[in-house]
Amino acid sequence: MVNHRVLAVIKRELKEKLMSKTFIFMTILLPLIMFGGIGIQLLLQRDEAKSTIALVTESPSLTESFQTELLSSDLMKDGKYTFTFYTMNRDDLKGFLDKKKQTLLDGDLTGIVFIPESAMKDKKIEYYSKTPTNPSLSRRLESPLNKVLIDSYFHNRSLSLEELNFARKGIDFAGFKVSKEEKISEAAVGNLVLSFIFSFLLYLSLLMTGQLMLQSVIEEKSNRIVEVIISSVSPKELMTGKILGSAITAMIQMVIWLSPIILIISTTLFALPAELTVSITMYHILFLLLNFAIGLILYLSLFGMMGSIFDNPQDAQSGMWPIMLLIMIPFFIAVSMMQNPNSPIANVASLLPIFSIMVMPIKATVVEVPLWQLIMCLVLNTATIFLIFPIAGKIYRVGILRTGRKPKWSEVVKWLKYKY
Amino acid sequence: MYALEVKNLTKTFDKLVAVDNASFEVPEGSIFGLIGRNGAGKTTTIRMMMGIYLPDSGEVVLRGVKVGQEFKNQVGYLPEERGLYKKMKVLDTLLYFAELKGKSGRDAHKKAEEYLKRFELYDRRLSKIEDLSKGNQQKIQFIATILHDPEFIILDEPFSGLDPINTNLLKEIILEMKQRGKVIIFSTHLMDFAEKMCDHVVMIDHGKIILKGSLNDIKSKYAQRNVSLTYDGDISFLKSNPIVDKIADYGNTTGIRLKESNQSQQLLKMLIERNVVVKKFNANDISLQEIFIELAGNETNGKEARNG
Repeated sequence: MVNHRVLAVIKRELKEKLMSKTFIFMTILLPLIMFGGIGIQLLLQRDEAKSTIALVTESPSLTESFQTELLSSDLMKDGKYTFTFYTMNRDDLKGFLDKKKQTLLDGDLTGIVFIPESAMKDKKIEYYSKTPTNPSLSRRLESPLNKVLIDSYFHNRSLSLEELNFARKGIDFAGFKVSKEEKISEAAVGNLVLSFIFSFLLYLSLLMTGQLMLQSVIEEKSNRIVEVIISSVSPKELMTGKILGSAITAMIQMVIWLSPIILIISTTLFALPAELTVSITMYHILFLLLNFAIGLILYLSLFGMMGSIFDNPQDAQSGMWPIMLLIMIPFFIAVSMMQNPNSPIANVASLLPIFSIMVMPIKATVVEVPLWQLIMCLVLNTATIFLIFPIAGKIYRVGILRTGRKPKWSEVVKWLKYKY
Repeated sequence: MYALEVKNLTKTFDKLVAVDNASFEVPEGSIFGLIGRNGAGKTTTIRMMMGIYLPDSGEVVLRGVKVGQEFKNQVGYLPEERGLYKKMKVLDTLLYFAELKGKSGRDAHKKAEEYLKRFELYDRRLSKIEDLSKGNQQKIQFIATILHDPEFIILDEPFSGLDPINTNLLKEIILEMKQRGKVIIFSTHLMDFAEKMCDHVVMIDHGKIILKGSLNDIKSKYAQRNVSLTYDGDISFLKSNPIVDKIADYGNTTGIRLKESNQSQQLLKMLIERNVVVKKFNANDISLQEIFIELAGNETNGKEARNG
């Protein structure tokens, strides 16, 4: 199947694609954007603005306890928080709010925390601010405020410090991943992040490679180069060469994209924060790449077929939605599956040919998948190639020499019977 | 011995019969012309010979064997609608096409440079195709057609869009190829070119072969009673002359058909008596164009008559 003509086509495709600005740009820039995006997010989270908070309680003793607790808490360490303390009852609070309204709106005062007497029973406190839903503020205030409330609540009851400490503590929900391997390891967020990265990269690569394939087939068709080439090679050889050329390009790109992850797994050069530790092996990566390679051939056959049907990119864009759906639906399944990897849809999609190209590697990253399923996935996708490639080849053969009017789908089906 | 035999080729697109049971033979070492008007079925015939279209029926035989990849490797094909990769460099383009034919390495490289020099494009070898003028792109396409030194050269309308100088260059190379024993097949609707260059022709009209054979045989068959004339003066008196069957004006030359083949001396005498300046008087000569119009024209008339 692969002879010197196919090799020549592959070589040309590789030269054209690997040297193209788009390829270099995307290969280098995409990881930068992705990791840069994560970095900026982290930076933004850490970089809180200075907050000035007025704390109001209804009893002087409570005010005093809060003052002692807050001023000695970690919050004060980096000087980002300034507190002022007031004691007044709910009726006076209204007047106080009116008075402070302007400073609140100006931003000079970040917010007013009101701790009514009733909070001693139901722990309900109120927060008045221009931006009342500020998760980072409420998260940081919650623990010291809770501590004071607990302390005051138990103040007059004879409890040991130990008992008190227990009451103060929140819950630590530690998840453990059960797998076939003997040791049960503490689940890491790392795999969730990885599965997201994987699905994003697979989706993007398929979309990009497919688009390039489509464009390249349309270019050959509309430039009439294809007739010259068909006088030397058979349409099947040309299509095979183009698919393999594109697939190799996409594989190279994928390996480059995955190289940081491969390095993390296989070496100890990079120390990740404990909560980001990833628990996947090189076998995962190899499976992903192998499955991806098969998937590329499948998708590229379809994209090549589509390109041959249409004369110009505009028609092609509007006519190729079925294939776009075949990329987008698995992507959405993959992304939503991260939350619930054992749902029936996930189970079906992880073995369904074409769908499994994206879904299975993601599933295998989040949960343990039996080996037979992984092999089954590869076998089914390979079998699908043998089903799709001849059909795509036939349509391609007829399509590339057709010009003029945009064909109807019913005509395209007829092409399958043509003797060309 | 025929180099290539086309046997009963038929090709139908939907309901249109593009080529209808076409058979002809291309002799070794010949320049073979496939002539006919636009849309007659020339390109479809050539595409079937190249294996680009599979015929509905019939076959093409190369020296006794049905054509296949073997033939594709030995043929250089210049399609009617030219096309090159716009972003590819000139030299890369040439080497790619040669490689598809199985020719690569230093030889192909050297040859490509030779041809580029000959076509005065050597200094553009590293330019992108899209930066070349249309004419130069055509030259590149032609070099790509012959670079791998094919046994067969099939050119579909090779002269369309070429300026006179390049037309001559192309003719020169075609004749050179012939001398080296190659078989050249070209299609054209320009009868002039076919007449000057071909030694065998096939005339195709509405998908059917209406005439085939060596140019000399065809001409002598149709040339009896025919005179081609180049002149200055007034020859309108001939229109009603009893010895003249038909007069047709072909621009530079006028074709005159006589009632009897032995009347040409009489015609010449008449012209001189009437003070017509005879620049060229060629008895028993007929241009391919005249034959073509006679055959294809008749056919059209017949059809119209049938329809009407």
